[in-house]
Amino acid sequence: MKSFQPRIVGFLCNWCSYAASDAAGGKKQPYPANFRVVRVMCSGRIEPQLVLKAFAEGADGVAILGCHPGDCHYKEGNYKALRRFAALKRMLDQLGIEEGRLILEWVSAAEGDKFIEVVRTLCDKVKALGPLHVARVAQDREPRRNRL
Amino acid sequence: MKPKIGVFVCECGPNIGERLDVPELVKFAQGLDGVGFARSHRLPCCSDGKKEMVEDIKAQQLTHVVVAGCSPRDHEATFMEVCREAGLNPHLFQMVNIREHCAWVIPDRQEATEKAKALVRAGVRRVVLHEALEDRTIDCVSDVMVVGAGPAGMEAALVLAHKGRHVTLLEKSPVIGGHAVRYEDLFPAMECAACMLEPKMEEVLHRHNITLLTCAEVEDVVGFFGNFTVKVRRHARRVDPAACIWCEECSKACPVSVPNEFHEGLAPRKAIYLPYPGALPNIAAIDYPNCLRSGGQDCHACADVCPFAAIHYDETDVVTDVHVGSVVLAVGFDLFDCRQIPNLGYGRIAEVYNNLEFERLLSVTGPSEGKLVMKNGQTPRSVAFVHCVGSRTPRFAPYCSGLCCMDAFKFSHLARKKASKDIQCFDIYRDLVAAGKGYHGLLDEQLAEGTEFIRTRDPNQVTVEAANGGCQLTIPQEGGSRKLSVDMVVLAAAVRPSADAAKLAQLFGVSIDADGFFSEEHGRLAPVSTTIGGVFIAGCAQGPKDVQASVAQADAAAGKILGTLLQGEKLPLPAITAHADAELCGGCKTCLSLCPYKAIHYVETEKRAEVNEALCKGCGTCAAACPTNAMQSRQFTRDQLFAEIEGLLS
Repeated sequence: MKSFQPRIVGFLCNWCSYAASDAAGGKKQPYPANFRVVRVMCSGRIEPQLVLKAFAEGADGVAILGCHPGDCHYKEGNYKALRRFAALKRMLDQLGIEEGRLILEWVSAAEGDKFIEVVRTLCDKVKALGPLHVARVAQDREPRRNRL
Repeated sequence: MKPKIGVFVCECGPNIGERLDVPELVKFAQGLDGVGFARSHRLPCCSDGKKEMVEDIKAQQLTHVVVAGCSPRDHEATFMEVCREAGLNPHLFQMVNIREHCAWVIPDRQEATEKAKALVRAGVRRVVLHEALEDRTIDCVSDVMVVGAGPAGMEAALVLAHKGRHVTLLEKSPVIGGHAVRYEDLFPAMECAACMLEPKMEEVLHRHNITLLTCAEVEDVVGFFGNFTVKVRRHARRVDPAACIWCEECSKACPVSVPNEFHEGLAPRKAIYLPYPGALPNIAAIDYPNCLRSGGQDCHACADVCPFAAIHYDETDVVTDVHVGSVVLAVGFDLFDCRQIPNLGYGRIAEVYNNLEFERLLSVTGPSEGKLVMKNGQTPRSVAFVHCVGSRTPRFAPYCSGLCCMDAFKFSHLARKKASKDIQCFDIYRDLVAAGKGYHGLLDEQLAEGTEFIRTRDPNQVTVEAANGGCQLTIPQEGGSRKLSVDMVVLAAAVRPSADAAKLAQLFGVSIDADGFFSEEHGRLAPVSTTIGGVFIAGCAQGPKDVQASVAQADAAAGKILGTLLQGEKLPLPAITAHADAELCGGCKTCLSLCPYKAIHYVETEKRAEVNEALCKGCGTCAAACPTNAMQSRQFTRDQLFAEIEGLLS
């Protein structure tokens, strides 16, 4: 049987992390093909709905990559991403989506190597977690809700 | 109209062509919903390729275009221009990155092709939802206001005026030139400060397209980049500048005496005065709060003696609106108040001075006309300079002020010149900073001339006591302390933000950093811009710096304005901005506080948010937070991103 190949969506900001993905490409160092990128102007654009949409559409993992603190092209969008990430993680937990399927990392335009490292680490982690079954998760939660 | 999407797969020479199954990808694209045309090309970004693409778009009557090739950071602009040439709105285009994200990083040809298919599908799903955004412009005023007439403010005003801009230059005090014009010499080359700055001051005073407003302050600001209305209060000078020639008769007659702040309080002045000899504009001003008339007395000593009837007691403040397109804030600095470190003796011991006071003691326009003397009239035989006062001290100024070391070296140089070449100089320091171009020369001179450098862990721990008409210092050293007796002590105090910075920041919406200086839009890449479009910063208002760095920033700010706010032209608005749907907006105001550019305002009458697209930079943070999806980030709408995600994963 072919091993589990997770599908992972990365939301990358235009100025730092997307540039890092280009830098990684420029190095021509292989990284898992599972990682598919949505470019946005700023990590501050990432609303929780986008991440939930990715999971709902079948993503097994999601990465939000932004500029390092203090480096945001729009001054402070990455801080807003950080706050939303914290809230979103709690929501995912309540939905039964395991910790580790969503990550937030700061990757500068110069950090092609870090980008590759982040992608590899996330892929390994999600592979270990196995496929995400949102529908099954909802069912599993049902009895617990009844207990309340 | 039914969409007809064209997909162009770029082979990028061998870069994509040899690593992906391009024919397979083209076939896949042809089968996607809405795609009416797909082809590959060996190198569409070259001139032949672009020509062919224009022809294809026209011949096939394509409604949308997707190019699968390199990173959008490489050639998005190229292909948008191709669309434009073909008569297609350039925003009905999407770039899909199959080179950096597939060809170059996935060794397995089939895997790479499969991922490329997903990316192309995402691009196609997204592009049909793109809006045909129009290039928009707004009317603007090309005049500029500069606040602060020190070296930075004057420089910005002159550069702008040389290019034909009308500049309103605001100065809070009655005279221009800032702090630096009151220095004797400027480091590192020890040129006469007044000689260097006076030609600029003269030009500022006489240029037809610079309106200098002295005794003036910003009271309110409305508007945005290209269209600011600044409410300016001109405090009554009560002396007619057209009639006064500063003959000094008024000042001689005035019965009031108060400390002269332009001599750092080291000498008195009258209530009607010229701040210092040679000050420009060379016109008297009445310091009304200190004038007997403000206390209700009917003194008219100055008016009685004025040969030109230049004095008008009944003059009142004038408040005017000035319309400008852009503003430069160059309000300079205040000096750290050394009284906050009582062990250093400032304000308690007569012969302890701060660096600005010492500048005045050395200056020919100062209270002693450039003779370096102590308060008892004697020439000092020794001076100690204490570095880092207030600087690099978490409680006061945690940063290095960057120019106090150079000030101290300059002072030793001038003390030898003004007092005696045998004067003993001591520098009590933690670290020496002399990093500017040509700066080391002045340090080397001190080392050669015999200035004694005494290192201590923190100069703010030095204790100064009065002794024998001079001072005795106790300097903490490893395993004990060292006593030092000198005639004078000079505290090289920290550069602090101007007291006006906080008020101006609030009025203009500019942010302030942790130390109280104006924040740049970006520390490295936009160091003289602020997050507020059209508002620029220069000089010590942005952070401590010397005259040359202040002037360079002023040039940069002026250049930014000349490059973006063009005379006789409308201001182009960026295409990728946010906009709020008036129907959907519930008026919760969540977005207002999130916007780093203050681009969103609340329309009180309609209880909804509205985006000023002249200020919006399109980050989309507001859209991400909007609970009703009323706020949409153009080209990154929720629907477009949802479609892209579906395309990636289906």
